Amino acid sequence: MLTLSNVEVKYAGVILVLRGVSLQVPEGKIVSLLGSNGAGKTTTLKAISGLLRTELGEVTAGAIEYQGRRIDRLDPEQIAKMGIIQVMEGRKVLKHLTVEENLRLGGYIRPNGEVRRDLERVYGYFPRLRSRRNAVSGYLSGGEQQMMLIGRAMMARPRLMLLDEPSMGLAPLIVREIYEIVRRLSAEERTTILLVEQNAKAALATSELAYVLENGRVVLDGPAAALADNEDIREFYLGLGKLGEKKSYRAVKTYKRRKRWL
Amino acid sequence: MLVISGAMNGAIYGLVALGFVLVYKASAVLNFAQGYMLLLGAYLFWFSRVTLGLPLVAALLLSVGAGFLVGILIERLTLRRLIGQPLISMITVTIFLSLVLEGLVSMIWGTYPLQHVTVFHDSTIRLGRLVLTTQSLLAFGLALSVAGALIAFFRFTRMGLAMRGVAEGHQIVQSMGISVRRILSLSWGLAGIAASIGGILMGGTLGFQLGLSQIGLLAIPAAFIGGLESPEGAVLGGLLIGLSESIVSGYVGNAAGVPAAFVILIATMLFRPYGFFGLERIERV
Repeated sequence: MLTLSNVEVKYAGVILVLRGVSLQVPEGKIVSLLGSNGAGKTTTLKAISGLLRTELGEVTAGAIEYQGRRIDRLDPEQIAKMGIIQVMEGRKVLKHLTVEENLRLGGYIRPNGEVRRDLERVYGYFPRLRSRRNAVSGYLSGGEQQMMLIGRAMMARPRLMLLDEPSMGLAPLIVREIYEIVRRLSAEERTTILLVEQNAKAALATSELAYVLENGRVVLDGPAAALADNEDIREFYLGLGKLGEKKSYRAVKTYKRRKRWL
Repeated sequence: MLVISGAMNGAIYGLVALGFVLVYKASAVLNFAQGYMLLLGAYLFWFSRVTLGLPLVAALLLSVGAGFLVGILIERLTLRRLIGQPLISMITVTIFLSLVLEGLVSMIWGTYPLQHVTVFHDSTIRLGRLVLTTQSLLAFGLALSVAGALIAFFRFTRMGLAMRGVAEGHQIVQSMGISVRRILSLSWGLAGIAASIGGILMGGTLGFQLGLSQIGLLAIPAAFIGGLESPEGAVLGGLLIGLSESIVSGYVGNAAGVPAAFVILIATMLFRPYGFFGLERIERV
């Protein structure tokens, strides 16, 4: 469905952020993209959705293809209309608008008559949003805001949803709730999902395929289950030792194993 | 009497201030050229009414349509290229744009006041001790209904909702497939409409002259008092400015009218920095 081949991204013409990223997102699957801070995860998503171009970033080499069409030269609004919707990280709510107004705007590219029905669908997934529909969204709790953002993206009926760190800054219980919704979206709505996470455990448990990004390159990829068993992933992303017991912080400090792929 | 004439001018200030608010909300730019967009609208009306000899409704439609296009043109030629650049450069552009517009008007029509022409048929109505002119009544009604229509558009339509969304963050609404450029140019067009109608109505009472651009100056405190983000506040602020201007100049002296408006502005800013209906900054701790 979506193919990135050797994508290179520069900001302001000089800062090289992605150095040839290749990945594939097959239709109907949940694919996660892992990596530490500054690895280029968010940049990858913005390159796909076109939002890169609003912040002086540019795809300088390689190609992004969506359903056989190159999209790396299109405007973000054109890409959104083709069915790719990004949920940005950091809970970007339109904070002076109410919950329902936020959701309605999410359905802006849909025919007017279907917005009503889509609203009901979103409230079906997130009953809590229905009870807060007239609340000013800036005053919602973090979890409610994240739910509203996913709901807002659903309003556009995307075929491919790009989810950027939905778990950031949320309590474990809320994270579980949100991932439950992500799984349902995939199963019931057949929405393809590309998920960016630092919370590797939650992401690997939810997705079918995973890529690991470091320093602007893909260093590992494969089925999520296989990656979850990979020794390096267990050590560096899941914080587990060889036998599956949790490592103590002292051990991490005194002995730092070399990453094999470097 | 003072109250009534104040309210009538106030409705027009409110309308012009509304145009100011529309642009500010969508793009966070203070449009200092608003007063000169108003001047151009008024002169275009005079041109189509007197020079072309069109009937009233046709002249109104033509000049207001032209005002819409002028707004869009200004956005496209200057501000679009500045999207993402520092706000101060955009604001500077609007300040000097106003001089360009004024120069354009005086180049074509000269600097002397034009031959007087009323917008509506003029006759007087007596209500007890009050003397009203149909001219000012119709102007009042038109200004308020246009302002009401713009507010309803902003509040209840999809486009209006998109404009409010754009006001909160360009990248966020782009991620939803909304074209920020289209919305910005629409808001400039609507500001052009509001300015032209305000200019035409004022021209009908004050005469068609370069001094009309002063109304743009009075619309600024109106917008600030109401709160820069609030269309309803702009209209109320306009009424307040109109009333206080006319009452103060009636009781204190003509020269005191305009400064009084700015005294009210400063007082409002001191006690309510966001204006009366402005959006408070939401900060969750």
